[in-house]
Amino acid sequence: MATDQLAIARPITTLPPEIRQRERRSRLTMAAMLAPAVLVAVAFMAYPLLFILQMSFTEGSSYLSIHGPTWTIDNYLAMFGRYLPNLFVTLELATLAMLVDLVFGFPFAYILVRKVRYRTLVRGFMVFPMFGALYIAFGLRFILLPGGPATPLLQALGLSGTQALYSLPTVVFAMAIFTFPFMVMNIGTALSNVDPTLEEAAACLGARPTQTLRRILLPLTRAGTVAGMLMVFGWSIGTFAEPLLLGSIQEQRALAWTLYQRGVVQNDYGLATTMGIVLLVIAFVVSWGSLRYSRGALVD
Amino acid sequence: MSAITAARPARRSSRRLSRRRIVDVLSHAYIWLCLIVFVLPFMVLLLYSFTGPGGTYAIQNFQYVLGSFRENLLWSFGISAATLLISALISLPAAYAIVRYGFRGKRTLFSALTLPLYVPGAVIGISLLLTYNFTYHLTTSPIGLVMAMVVGTFPLMLTPIVVAMKDLPLVYEEAAACLGATKWQAYRKIVFPLIGPGLSAGLMLTFIIVFNEYLVTLFVHPPGLVTAPLRIFNLVRTAGLLPTTAALAVTMQLISFAAVILFFRVFGTRYLKGTYLI
Repeated sequence: MATDQLAIARPITTLPPEIRQRERRSRLTMAAMLAPAVLVAVAFMAYPLLFILQMSFTEGSSYLSIHGPTWTIDNYLAMFGRYLPNLFVTLELATLAMLVDLVFGFPFAYILVRKVRYRTLVRGFMVFPMFGALYIAFGLRFILLPGGPATPLLQALGLSGTQALYSLPTVVFAMAIFTFPFMVMNIGTALSNVDPTLEEAAACLGARPTQTLRRILLPLTRAGTVAGMLMVFGWSIGTFAEPLLLGSIQEQRALAWTLYQRGVVQNDYGLATTMGIVLLVIAFVVSWGSLRYSRGALVD
Repeated sequence: MSAITAARPARRSSRRLSRRRIVDVLSHAYIWLCLIVFVLPFMVLLLYSFTGPGGTYAIQNFQYVLGSFRENLLWSFGISAATLLISALISLPAAYAIVRYGFRGKRTLFSALTLPLYVPGAVIGISLLLTYNFTYHLTTSPIGLVMAMVVGTFPLMLTPIVVAMKDLPLVYEEAAACLGATKWQAYRKIVFPLIGPGLSAGLMLTFIIVFNEYLVTLFVHPPGLVTAPLRIFNLVRTAGLLPTTAALAVTMQLISFAAVILFFRVFGTRYLKGTYLI
């Protein structure tokens, strides 16, 4: 490695042939080491995504027909016409989950970073939501079913039957639990880089806690907070089990579930892939923003 | 006069102290409330899995898991093991090349390789389902399912290994080379043992995600191959709620939790930085 760097420093033309050969061999080794990962990513990620991009411009399941595919943009017209409410429901759910996470996650991260000494224990508890939205949805469904553990509480609140189970707040609650650790991780990392003496200085200078929060903490943790919000949003956009198991008809229109219905159950590949492309574009734009905001890249 | 001036600051500070203590208590209460909410779904499923049609049926329910759901659990373990193996085999050389070699577009390549993490599961599912159908003809083979898992999760394997490689000073390899070791010997005897914690972090993260994956599996599973999370999904959707299903869900979460705790005990959380989890 060190010899390689020396070799690069010298002009290429004066290199002795054996060093040039070694250089070439090391390049080949590098390519061979990267090849499996790149091949898998291209064959099972890049190509399939390009494939569904192409397919989203064909009509229904005409890709299968012996006369060849029928090219059309009707899918996108339908997507932004008839299926616009589905897109809005998806965005609404993701936005609400993001806001709930922000409101509850910021104080959680602050207390965790500044006051809590039993952090390992907290980490242990916090891995449970990461095992999957499916178990969260299953658990909440059981709690809220008529006759479940929460029945007395729900009756005290004046909710009867499945009023609480099949509703927007329940879906958002489940989604928020699932993505909460991501938000806490991002905000926590940003907060632990803020010197606590800044808050003390603000307090000494007579700032009230709200002023300290607004003038000191929020500006200094903006990058982490924004990155966390975008990350949570990007994760929530593909929500599947929560609207299905906990939502009413309205929430069940979430895009990922509609995609499954259209593509796998009804074989309307054109429309399903169009929804997939829309989801993909939203997720990529949001994740790109998140990565730009988050603390430095890993490789430089 | 002097008594008053002496008493006043004392009283004020004691009042301030008590206020601070109230804030402290409230803060910790808030943390604990959040933690309870996190484990609430698990806890109620655990309680539910102990019930039956009139009495305690804990043992029967978990016997049912090992009996009726045995095949699903075995498939889950098998798919996870195959995914971990392939993922590790493609990530180890890639991480080495990314950290130890300089080439143009390195950052771009690394970002491109981690992109699959940000693709929603349903999109991975539909795109692989269609390509398996029309191009690769993998619809009926478990290999298709394993590759779907690999491509969705190998950034989780790659990132901790890259972190561990970057932490490893070059001098060890140089010393090995000076003593006459070939590059492969240096890698096998020096680098590989030293990046062990990073590799283990990758294995643990990939395991807990793949072991509990139901969404991509729902799209690309071959007929007859039903993993445990997919079985849970299907049962919750169609059969209503059963204590045996809850017992299966509890079993899955306990196994995942055991993997995480084992990792924490052995390696701590250092190598999970950089990854998007924890």
